[in-house]
Amino acid sequence: MDSVHYIQELFTARLPFFPSNIRASLFIMLFCIIAFTELYLYIITRRLKQTWERAREAKYKEKITNMLAHIVLYDEDDVTDAVNHFVPRFKKLPLRDKAVRELLVKELLDYHANFTGKTAEILKGLYLGLKLDRAARRKIKSRYWETQVEGIREVTQMWIREDADLILKLTDDENSQLRMEAQTAFVKLSSDDPFRFLDRARERILEWHQLVLFEVITKTRNVQIPSFSKWLSSRNDSVVMLCLKLVKHYQQLDAIPDLIRLLMHPNLKIRSKTINILGILEAEMAEEDLFNMYFDQPVEIKTEIIKAMGRISSGNYLEFLKSRTQTDDFKIRMDAFRSIKLHGAEGRELLNNIYQVTTSQNKAIINHVLDERIKG
Amino acid sequence: MNSFFYFIEQFFNNAIFYYALFVMLSYVLLAFLSAVEMKSYLRKNSYVDYRQILVSPNAPSVSILAPAYNEEATIVDNVRSLLSLHYSNFEVIIINDGSKDKSLETLIQYYDLEIVDFALNEQIKTKPLKGVYKSKNPAYSKLTVVDKVNGGKSDALNLGINVSSKELILCIDVDCIVEQDAILRMVKPFMDESKRVIATGGVVRIANSCEVRDGRLIKVHLPDKIIPRFQVLEYIRAFLMGRMAWSRLNGLLLISGAMGLFDKEIVIKCGGYNHNTVGEDMELVVRMRRYMHEHDLPYRVVYIPDPLCWTESPSDLNILGRQRNRWTRGTIETLWSHKELFFNPRYGLLGLLSYPYWFFFEWLAPILEFLGLFIFITLALMGNINWEFSLILMSMVYLFAITLSTVAVLYEELSYQQYTSGRDLIKLLLIALIEPLLYHPLNVYWAIRGNIDIITGKKSWGTMTRTGFGAPKVKAA
Repeated sequence: MDSVHYIQELFTARLPFFPSNIRASLFIMLFCIIAFTELYLYIITRRLKQTWERAREAKYKEKITNMLAHIVLYDEDDVTDAVNHFVPRFKKLPLRDKAVRELLVKELLDYHANFTGKTAEILKGLYLGLKLDRAARRKIKSRYWETQVEGIREVTQMWIREDADLILKLTDDENSQLRMEAQTAFVKLSSDDPFRFLDRARERILEWHQLVLFEVITKTRNVQIPSFSKWLSSRNDSVVMLCLKLVKHYQQLDAIPDLIRLLMHPNLKIRSKTINILGILEAEMAEEDLFNMYFDQPVEIKTEIIKAMGRISSGNYLEFLKSRTQTDDFKIRMDAFRSIKLHGAEGRELLNNIYQVTTSQNKAIINHVLDERIKG
Repeated sequence: MNSFFYFIEQFFNNAIFYYALFVMLSYVLLAFLSAVEMKSYLRKNSYVDYRQILVSPNAPSVSILAPAYNEEATIVDNVRSLLSLHYSNFEVIIINDGSKDKSLETLIQYYDLEIVDFALNEQIKTKPLKGVYKSKNPAYSKLTVVDKVNGGKSDALNLGINVSSKELILCIDVDCIVEQDAILRMVKPFMDESKRVIATGGVVRIANSCEVRDGRLIKVHLPDKIIPRFQVLEYIRAFLMGRMAWSRLNGLLLISGAMGLFDKEIVIKCGGYNHNTVGEDMELVVRMRRYMHEHDLPYRVVYIPDPLCWTESPSDLNILGRQRNRWTRGTIETLWSHKELFFNPRYGLLGLLSYPYWFFFEWLAPILEFLGLFIFITLALMGNINWEFSLILMSMVYLFAITLSTVAVLYEELSYQQYTSGRDLIKLLLIALIEPLLYHPLNVYWAIRGNIDIITGKKSWGTMTRTGFGAPKVKAA
């Protein structure tokens, strides 16, 4: 009791008489004790709540999974009849409970992603029959981007094409995450012009978003692939970069004249990528432009030009490549030797000839280039 | 004479009090910023499908650089674990730094290696290369083993950089357990920021007492021994609270040497790792940041809160002491070699905030703490202490410390919740209560020893003995 009384005195009667630092310390102590106790209680009650919620979720998950399994096994050819059969059963679930509804949506989406044909159609019918699409649409119109993303993912996963126009509005949103989700969803859902968003893209498409878009475009079935050279003159550099990658993937040879025009692009990354693609497309008609621009370029562009000449390997610039093996820059020499090697028998012969007369370091590079076990 | 002691006591009380207040305030701010950053990270990445990076031809290429010195016992498993990481465009470069045991022979035999004609582009000066080995078995085509004359970890990493043929370099300790999706997660910031990202780091966790099989983590447990358990709390606090906050501010000075992903071009332009410091990881990040400032290049150094790398922490006080001593020396060496940054506005946040923070709170704090204790004992022996006030001040510091640690545990709970068992959670909360009394004073002592060693010119790394993860382990309840 004495200690309690002592502490009480510290914070009441004696407090005004303490120096300021001691008073401040006492307040900090009080704050810490309250904060510490609350944190302890919060952490422990949170864990207990989690355990309870997990048990509840497991119970409903098992029930929902069993019901969905019946859909997979259901022997009825008419999709509408099947949907009409299952909707009343699923309505018996406590769908007003947000946790149960979200769980059902998650399971429906997972099943829909893993099944095709009649089962997928029944699952979609069930989703619509339970009016879960309305909730998804409300999510898309939410003020919070995370909720909007959830909504977009739902309608995309369920292939609800009617929502494409609703999503188009979000393809140039300020929030980059939302923008990316909307763009990828639009590519999947728009049946007439899935790349319309590229015309209106003002915001930068980050490299990560380009990667995701590239994957979606190249992996989604039944997407109408246009000639991407159309966007190579875009003012948005990131749109140009994405389209360059797509030109390369789809080997769009009709883009070569536009690619040659891009060789003077002020953005080094675009210039470098363009040269790389001209090489991959084996665009012999671009060789002269590449040679003419070579001497005014920084090292990273020079190495790309040398690599491109190797890939094209027309033989017209072998002497030029040979001259590059005399430069001081190790990387240029290495790439020049590699490009000579890509010229087949003629290249091999040239490498042998150089080997006889060149420096010991160049000999080491030639050996390196000829060693098939070394990839880099 | 009495008035003199009274003056000393008053000065001492006030100076220590206001310094402590300042430190505590900075911790509260960092905790707040960290919460903001972590929330933003978790929201942003909760929708990410990392498999898209895995299969994409547009993902950046990565060289994993792992220096090895006398790792004969575990090297085969470690390499196998690295080769099995989830990523498509990567290579693994093991640098045998003149091991005296049979590390190299073991690798040659197990992975069917043979020497190749490798032309080395010596962009960074290193100790001589003895040979580059590749496997005859195409299954191991991603593996390159480099043999060199012993020159230390920095020198080995620099040679690895010279051998690397990829855009990014992942520098790791070969004996760490790396999460399978670690590269996928670390690579993403390089593609996902509007500014050029020059380095990313991930959270390093303590693997003691965890269940490990074939170089992979199977189940997470809190360490059985108390010393690693203290370090678990310390790491959670440092990574989830400290570094995340600095990442938010773009003021990070340190990416753990155990695992860091770097932009190779910038590393080479900066001259690679410094051989003359025991804090090479911090020194490199500071030098890279300086380079970017001096060339007016916008950049970011990013930390991600995902637990990506698990390491065995010292469970012996002597080994831990040597490690902490080395960390202190590394900090001092880095601060000294970049002293031009101190409150230098040319370097923006780096010069005005990050560097001074490390100077005042990371280097100076233990010294002041030790000095405070010394003066306190002296005054106590002379009978010039107001015991009641001293007790109040010390209680305040103690209560603040345990509250901060509890906040760190809360962050862990709200984010990754690695310790799923309720018992582990209770143990972690309890360890927060005794850590300031038992573990913190030891850290102060080791930091002081580090300062003394640097004055006396001690340069060594100190031996870091590990017991290894051994065979699969069944955790006792």
